[in-house]
Amino acid sequence: MATYIVFILAIAAVYALLAQSLVLVWGQSGMVNLGLVGFFAIGAYASALVTTDLAAPVVIGLVCALVAGALVGLAVTLSTLRLRDDYLAIVTLGFAEVVRIVASNEIWLTNGTDGIAGIPSLFDRSGGLWFHVKFAVAATLVCLLAGILISRLSRSPWGRVLRAIRDDQVVAAVAGKRVVRYKAEAFMIGSAIAALAGALYGSYISYIAPDLFQPLITIYVFLAATAGGNSRAIGATIGAYLLVAWLEASRFLGEIVPGVSAVQVAALREITVGLALVLVLRFAPGGLFREKNEKAPHAN
Amino acid sequence: MIFEVLPQALANGLVSGTILAVPAIGFTAIFAIRLYPNFMIGAVATVGAYAGWAANTSLGLSLWPALVVAFLVAAAVGLATEKVAVRPLEPAGPLTMAIASLAMAIVLENVIRFIYGNDLKGFDTPLERDVVWWGIRVGPQQLRNLATALAIMALLWAGLRFTRFGRAMRACADNPDLARLKGIEPVRIADVTVAVALGLCGIGGMLVGVDASVDPMTGTRLLLSVFAAAVLGGLGSIPGAVVGALSIGIVEELTVAFLSPAYRLAVGFLVILVVLTFRPRGLLGTATR
Amino acid sequence: MTKLLTNGINRRTLMKGTAAAGLFTLAAPAIVRAQSEVIRLGTLTPLTGAGGPYGPVMAEAAKKVAETVNAKGGILGREITVISEDDQTNPEAGVRAARKLIDVDDVAAIMGTWASSVTTAVAPLCWEGETFLTTVSGADSITELPHHGWLVRTQPNTTLQGRKFGEFCIELDAPKVYFMSPQTPFADSQFSSLKTAVEAGGGSAEILIYDDKKASLRSEVDTALRTNPDMIVMGGYTPDTIVLLKDLYRAGYDGKLLGFGYSVNAKLVEAMPAEAVEGVYTLSPSPAEGSKGYDALTKLIGVEAPDTYTCQVYDHANLVILSMAAGGAATGATVRETIRTVAQGEGEAVSTALDGLAALEAGSAINYTGASGPCDFTEKGDITDAKFRYDQVKDGKITLLKIA
Repeated sequence: MATYIVFILAIAAVYALLAQSLVLVWGQSGMVNLGLVGFFAIGAYASALVTTDLAAPVVIGLVCALVAGALVGLAVTLSTLRLRDDYLAIVTLGFAEVVRIVASNEIWLTNGTDGIAGIPSLFDRSGGLWFHVKFAVAATLVCLLAGILISRLSRSPWGRVLRAIRDDQVVAAVAGKRVVRYKAEAFMIGSAIAALAGALYGSYISYIAPDLFQPLITIYVFLAATAGGNSRAIGATIGAYLLVAWLEASRFLGEIVPGVSAVQVAALREITVGLALVLVLRFAPGGLFREKNEKAPHAN
Repeated sequence: MIFEVLPQALANGLVSGTILAVPAIGFTAIFAIRLYPNFMIGAVATVGAYAGWAANTSLGLSLWPALVVAFLVAAAVGLATEKVAVRPLEPAGPLTMAIASLAMAIVLENVIRFIYGNDLKGFDTPLERDVVWWGIRVGPQQLRNLATALAIMALLWAGLRFTRFGRAMRACADNPDLARLKGIEPVRIADVTVAVALGLCGIGGMLVGVDASVDPMTGTRLLLSVFAAAVLGGLGSIPGAVVGALSIGIVEELTVAFLSPAYRLAVGFLVILVVLTFRPRGLLGTATR
Repeated sequence: MTKLLTNGINRRTLMKGTAAAGLFTLAAPAIVRAQSEVIRLGTLTPLTGAGGPYGPVMAEAAKKVAETVNAKGGILGREITVISEDDQTNPEAGVRAARKLIDVDDVAAIMGTWASSVTTAVAPLCWEGETFLTTVSGADSITELPHHGWLVRTQPNTTLQGRKFGEFCIELDAPKVYFMSPQTPFADSQFSSLKTAVEAGGGSAEILIYDDKKASLRSEVDTALRTNPDMIVMGGYTPDTIVLLKDLYRAGYDGKLLGFGYSVNAKLVEAMPAEAVEGVYTLSPSPAEGSKGYDALTKLIGVEAPDTYTCQVYDHANLVILSMAAGGAATGATVRETIRTVAQGEGEAVSTALDGLAALEAGSAINYTGASGPCDFTEKGDITDAKFRYDQVKDGKITLLKIA
């Protein structure tokens, strides 16, 4: 039981990082990255490859994931940021699928659908419960650091520009802000954080495969960010913990709703996730932790 | 070899592109009138496929009437879902609506799974061998699908062009404020657009279901190709969706024939990126708002 | 839908159900029961996602086995409960579900993992958590994992299957073979051993990897048919195999067709126009002719031609229950120690848990022979030997040709 709870906390920290990656991109700049799971995958593969094939230390793997995430994030935004934000949403959705196709078929690089097993971890895996505790603490710390970084960035003048762009792109442009550049920067930071989450996850579970990176994960994370509040790191984080708590708690639906088959329970669980997302959007917009009102920034 | 393969691959691409065009028109029409990308279209296509299948196997209807059932059920379920779950979020902006529609896609897919399970369903239709014309192989069912798709497009075009309602719709798409001034009722326009568009997705889902088989993920598998088609043609442009769908259909089949079958989606995606870079509004898109 | 949910659960609980408190109120019954005297076993099969067509009936089969044993008083004086979790055909969900099964439910064994990726991700949890894992996954790499005996698989490895496919092609006098498959962990190795077997018989083989999400495979079929094959071997699962078969029929292909028994199964035959599946050959792992396991399973779940995954998970449940009874304790460690004493050896041949339990009670040794095969395992956890059922679709029915 203890292992289970610690394990769930560790997984929740990974989800929290993913949700945080949406704060600057979605909450602050108004861009929707529906290919989040693709960046999660990029980070997981980048770090798995350098730590297994090149036998690099795990920390180097994490750094590689950050860099890979940022660079790929830049590549994805290059052709879409000048367009309406809807294009970005659609293109990123396609991007995630392309990542999965490449990971499945470039067997020489990624070991294909077999996946990569035996990914080294930061800590000694034989430690039983302690291994999980150490990882959960480490992941939570990373999450905390990322949260602080994001909060600082959003309070900075740079963050104010992001919100100005989100609220009115034209006004921001007229005020002389290089809209595309700001958006690209925010997107790169977001992708890097998502990639870091992937690297952490891979090194914790020790195994990754293309099957892992399915669009449903993106939806889970959007639910998390929406429920907690997508414009603040604390909101996204709490949302992620709530999400994982619900994903786990809903396993027991079958014991509460009588007379349904296993498939029906599985279907019900996913229905609750979808409905929850819509209900939160409708009745608790802004989530639990709403954006604080701020004074109008001074002209700069 | 290329002259042997190319015409056949082009023909295959045209056929699959035409089927793709039906839901792509639906997607782009919702975008034109409602100004948000509706990610529910895949799940609604699945609803249509199940409705058509039930009409075909349980009620014993033949394919044409079953298509009507698919259209009506998908339109009704889609419109109800949109009105209850997505539309109230309009003040929060188009992307919030897009996310809500994605969430409702999950809900619809799993409602179907809850009712019907995961087992595959097949239409009760005889399978016909293809016929060969001038060295190109085409299937009678594919031809009927093609004819259906073309007929729907023609109907739609005529409806938009010649009816009062169609003109109102186009006015609404061009300039909603002006349209309102002219006494056009935006809610009714929105309702009809969403219903017709999602009904089209239902038809698309059923056409694919007749071709392959029906399961809870039938429509979802189509999703990315439909998006690619609509974006390539220019979001919000109905002729664009048709051109985009045909192009994506052809690009995918050429990829299969000449590059690598596993990469057909990836190549389609690359094509969109290239087009968006050099022609941001898509092939036939007009103004971005 | 909301109505359906609120009938069962207090609406407020649902709304606030995501709160951590909800986790514990909801989990409480399970935790309390975990401490009681029931023997708990888990199934981890795909109920949603790409494996969705297979997982539900697998979970059902394991449950039915437990029910029959419970009807006769259970084992070791205790009842057996089977808990079904959904792996969503995704290792992430699979790992979370496995952790719950191991740590909260304290199951002795997890049965029926299907996708190779899920099995590979879940296996370390099992061997670290002293939980026995039985799987139907095909990737060769699975039994190479450092599992120290905590894992067995009933699916023949791909080298063996590929060879059988190849030899069967030669036997059917179809030396020019074309292999069409989506990308799977076993597509490549399966093909290379198929190719070796075909070439040994003087034939040739080619491969095409397609995208299994595609709604039509016309161009893929064109590519295949340009080589004029005598035999097309289909490596996919049911949904994409339907598309492939239809497009092959439309294209006028009149050569031979061979597929896995799990993809060309009763459901596929039912969902397809008869003319497009007529004559298709299928291959599945099988017990020797005359073994009662397959018939017993057919009767138990009321499915006429259960596919190999269902057969295998049925065997998993029987084997785990018999191992516990033979070892005298309901733990994963017992299963690990005793599974090979009930699965193989000189004992009395049995095909159901009940027969086995009766024999054990009478003091005799047993050798379980299941619905999917003889179920004898190597050190690594692979099956030592598998016979194969060769079936052919005749008049819209999957008809047994031979077992060899």
